[in-house]
Amino acid sequence: MRNQPASVQYPSSLLNAESSPKNGGDTPVTGVHEGPSDVHPFTARPKNPHQRGGWVRGHQKDGGGYAKEMSKYITAGPFARARAAEVSTMLKAVTKTTGSCHVFGALPKHMRRRAMSHNTKRLPRRLRDAANRMAGSKKKKEQAKSKSRKARRRHGNLLLEFNRRQRKNVWLETHIWHAKRFHMVKKWGYCLGDRPTYKCYRPSYRAMSSHCLLQDLSYYCCIELQGEEDKLLASLSQLCSKEAGPTFAAAVCLSGRRQGSVVVYRAGLYPSQPLGPVTFLWRPRTQGSAHRQLWIWAHPNMKQDLLPELQAVCQCCEAVVPPVLPVVTPAEVVPTVEPEPKPEKTAEAKQVTGTKRKRTFKDAGGPPAKKILGDGTRSPTTSVTWKSSSNGIVINDLTMEIVRYRLIGPQSHSVLAETMEPATDCDVRIMPSSLWWPEHCKNQSKMNLHREQADVFHILKGLYSTGELPSGTVLGLTVDDPRLTLPTKKVKALPCVKQVDEEKTRELMLRGVPEHCCQSYLWEQSVRDNVTENKISEQELNRMRSEVLVPGSRLSPTPLQGRVPVLLVHQPGKQLGHEMSSWGAGWDLLLPKGWGMAFWVPLVYRGVHIGGLNMSLKHSQNKGAPHFPHDYPDCPAGVRFQEEQETQLLDKFKRRPPAKRTNYIKHGCLAPFCCPWQQLAEEWELISRQGGEERKGDQTQTTAEADALMTSHGDIPVTKPPSRVTVLRNRKSLRVLSGWCRPTTSKGQRRCRVGEVPPLDRLALTSFLTAHGMSLVWVRLSILSKGKPELHAMVCAPTAEDLKLLKKESFSGPQEPTHKDHFKSRIRRRKKAPKKAATSSLCRDKAEGKESELPSSPSHLVVGLWPDPLPSVTAHCSRVTLGWVTQGDFSLSAGCGEALGFVSVAGLLNTLLNQPMEHRGMLLLRDPTSLHYRFAKINIEV
Amino acid sequence: MVRVKSRYLLCEVNVSDRSRLLLLDDRAVAATVKAAVARIHGDYGAALCSIRFSVKYLNAHTGIVFLRFPKKCYRLLWSALPFITCIETRGQKISCFLNCLHVGGTMRTCQKFLIRYNTQQLHRMLPKCKNEEEKQQVQKAILNCSLTGRNKEAFEVESESEEDEEEE
Repeated sequence: MRNQPASVQYPSSLLNAESSPKNGGDTPVTGVHEGPSDVHPFTARPKNPHQRGGWVRGHQKDGGGYAKEMSKYITAGPFARARAAEVSTMLKAVTKTTGSCHVFGALPKHMRRRAMSHNTKRLPRRLRDAANRMAGSKKKKEQAKSKSRKARRRHGNLLLEFNRRQRKNVWLETHIWHAKRFHMVKKWGYCLGDRPTYKCYRPSYRAMSSHCLLQDLSYYCCIELQGEEDKLLASLSQLCSKEAGPTFAAAVCLSGRRQGSVVVYRAGLYPSQPLGPVTFLWRPRTQGSAHRQLWIWAHPNMKQDLLPELQAVCQCCEAVVPPVLPVVTPAEVVPTVEPEPKPEKTAEAKQVTGTKRKRTFKDAGGPPAKKILGDGTRSPTTSVTWKSSSNGIVINDLTMEIVRYRLIGPQSHSVLAETMEPATDCDVRIMPSSLWWPEHCKNQSKMNLHREQADVFHILKGLYSTGELPSGTVLGLTVDDPRLTLPTKKVKALPCVKQVDEEKTRELMLRGVPEHCCQSYLWEQSVRDNVTENKISEQELNRMRSEVLVPGSRLSPTPLQGRVPVLLVHQPGKQLGHEMSSWGAGWDLLLPKGWGMAFWVPLVYRGVHIGGLNMSLKHSQNKGAPHFPHDYPDCPAGVRFQEEQETQLLDKFKRRPPAKRTNYIKHGCLAPFCCPWQQLAEEWELISRQGGEERKGDQTQTTAEADALMTSHGDIPVTKPPSRVTVLRNRKSLRVLSGWCRPTTSKGQRRCRVGEVPPLDRLALTSFLTAHGMSLVWVRLSILSKGKPELHAMVCAPTAEDLKLLKKESFSGPQEPTHKDHFKSRIRRRKKAPKKAATSSLCRDKAEGKESELPSSPSHLVVGLWPDPLPSVTAHCSRVTLGWVTQGDFSLSAGCGEALGFVSVAGLLNTLLNQPMEHRGMLLLRDPTSLHYRFAKINIEV
Repeated sequence: MVRVKSRYLLCEVNVSDRSRLLLLDDRAVAATVKAAVARIHGDYGAALCSIRFSVKYLNAHTGIVFLRFPKKCYRLLWSALPFITCIETRGQKISCFLNCLHVGGTMRTCQKFLIRYNTQQLHRMLPKCKNEEEKQQVQKAILNCSLTGRNKEAFEVESESEEDEEEE
């Protein structure tokens, strides 16, 4: 408090003063009896408490001595003086402001405003100067004056601004289109549309199942491998295994007729350490050449793992610094076609990224910056090509070089057929030009190939559904610029089945596209660059349109630049399981870079729905396929994703007030945000191992046994060195497991392939578990009654009583008793007595025994969440936990709740073994926020 | 707007032996009040007295004390003040009693009251003066009681200089 009078009293140096009168000569501060010379000794005093001299507040030792000489009787003079001095100090205290030193303290209360404290212009003018002087020290920084909006929106400046904003997260070519309509997220070094801002969940689903849904997948990374076929195969064979399905060497893929997909592992470590799923595409062979080209498409999240692995496998360690293609392209390009040298462009792009807003360009007249068509996951200086000296393999990183659109739905082929037209020929007599298409027209064999491809494309129109084609079919094509045939209004593309050439259609459906038709010039770097460079700009096209005699008619001679090589790749729909097969099949459209928007808008004008990342998740969920990276907990990318997701969910959880949060401890949910797969697998491995040893003949219940085991689990140290948890991808084992999961007596089930499966008994089980004890298996669970499974719902094993009750109609599922939250009271106590609680909780923990593994310092406890380390996850609840759900939702296709997730193989088999035949494969599902178990049917689909 | 409310008691310490008034000390007064409250109201009172009770101002010359009590319980604490008979300070007992002159919601009202009270006292003294010297002294004191004229100017100059110092 400023300006408050200090107490008037004498310091307590009485003893000192008596023993040693140090203030002998100079008269002390008292001043009351000093005579008339000092007129008002009080006035100077109390204003400055920190000023020494005068009566000082507090009890200083060094102060003046105690003046004893106050007269015993009241005399008028001193009495009046003392009063007068006090009055004047009080007056000062009353008139001056106290507390904060703001000037507006002087204002009466009704004139004060909150904004005055930071804006002096709110003060009355007479006080402004003083306020300005006081506020001078903490003046805010002047904000940099930004350019006018007109200047900012000028084309060149806008591009510069766009380039600046892309420095961290690269934009796709359709970014601006998406940004106007989608919630954008920054992921994996890209800016991607997550979900549209308008409501379209069900329309999008309907589009996927009956018409067509379009997605921009250009963020997928393409890695090109070139080299001798046998050498490539030899290197790549280390990355995958035949046990997990067809590999890179599958004959139908190797010919280039089909796209394949495979899960890649670290070199030579097949069952453990997977990296993630990739799709791959071989370029069809050219006659008499063993040189092959292979594209591997991978998710950007796993590229950082995949690329070093590929380099190691292919021994490609030499980075080729100037990215000039060092290989002879098998299909000859006419040498007159001179592609724009690439290094220049990258250099220019680099310069653009370096300079912020300042214009340091030589040509100020032209467009100052080109849009960067680069990659988000690498820095601009790193090289994109690696060469091997030993086996001649070249790895080329083609990220962002190729635009990839995905069309999902049975009508995607009609959308494609309506949007694109096979390229029209041009006059052969034209002079040699720098464009690629006129040069091609001169070559008769190439034109024949083009005609054949066009024929196949025409047959495509006659198909009823995209799913009828063999999965993974590839078709190369050269098409006209689709902007030329842009309809004036949005029209819905519909199939036209009437033009029937039954024979050819059947041929296409059964055999797929003939091998030579899979060839496309998109494979060639030079053609790609040529096409990208010579694209007609939108402006130019509009000018040409305006010059047409009849407004709105088609440009009659198609401009020479408007021929684009594309590649159509069929995407298989639902392949697993029996119902809804080939749901969600579609086409992928591969384009050279720079042509993204030119194809996107015409596609949108054909009445397709657009989906974001959210929809691709739903797509794979309805397909029952694991979605990368959500459902790959054993891959490094999946682990990264899980951690990210955990922090996200935890943040969201903590944003709620503590009283409104779900108490997951009370719900018996140990891991609502992140599933401890490793712990689950280890625990089940232990249970099954001990179960095998102990039980020789007696058929006790798994649950009871597990409970008994798990109570003692805390004391038993795990002797085995912990091996990493993996997902079971061995086709044969999966097939066996799938057979075991089905009830053998139920009528509705088809008994295909079940005959081969050995009956489930203890012997088969132990042999299976020795191979896959630490594995998880991907399962689909459909709920029998109502209920909608959520993310991280628990998959549990029902007890025998539950299964008996299941026969009753009204029984919807057992209930979990509410758990007790031991931590809540601890947190409360901790708040009250911070020191005592630590020690007491320590002692109490020891006394409790079972809970001794709880942490002794719960400083980071969050109400309602189990702190690390978790207790046994399997036996925590009344029903034994087998696994967790990673994707769960109400399935619009099945009309009931469906969940996808992982369960421990050991746990699943132990449960199945103890279940009666008619109820085999019946499990329980429980949401993290609920106590109600729901019956669900397990399905393992191979 | 929202604040912790207190009551400020403006008390006068009346002593029998005026020379011992100078021995007074804010700690001693606080301890005495606490002891008195504890004696009268027991532990409960002592506890109440330990929260936000303080001696805000003490003038050893005039014997004026400002006591701050929490508003919730100031009546209870106040009721213990008449039972104070002596203040023990620096090893000596000063027999005295506390006379409450004013109860205010803020320090400022107490100060205003004190100004009025003191000037009133001086004005009352003036006609009762016995000799001329006394009269002059009292008159001078009364003149000093206001912040007018030279006095005020000097004060303002001083405050200005102080502000300047603080700005640096």
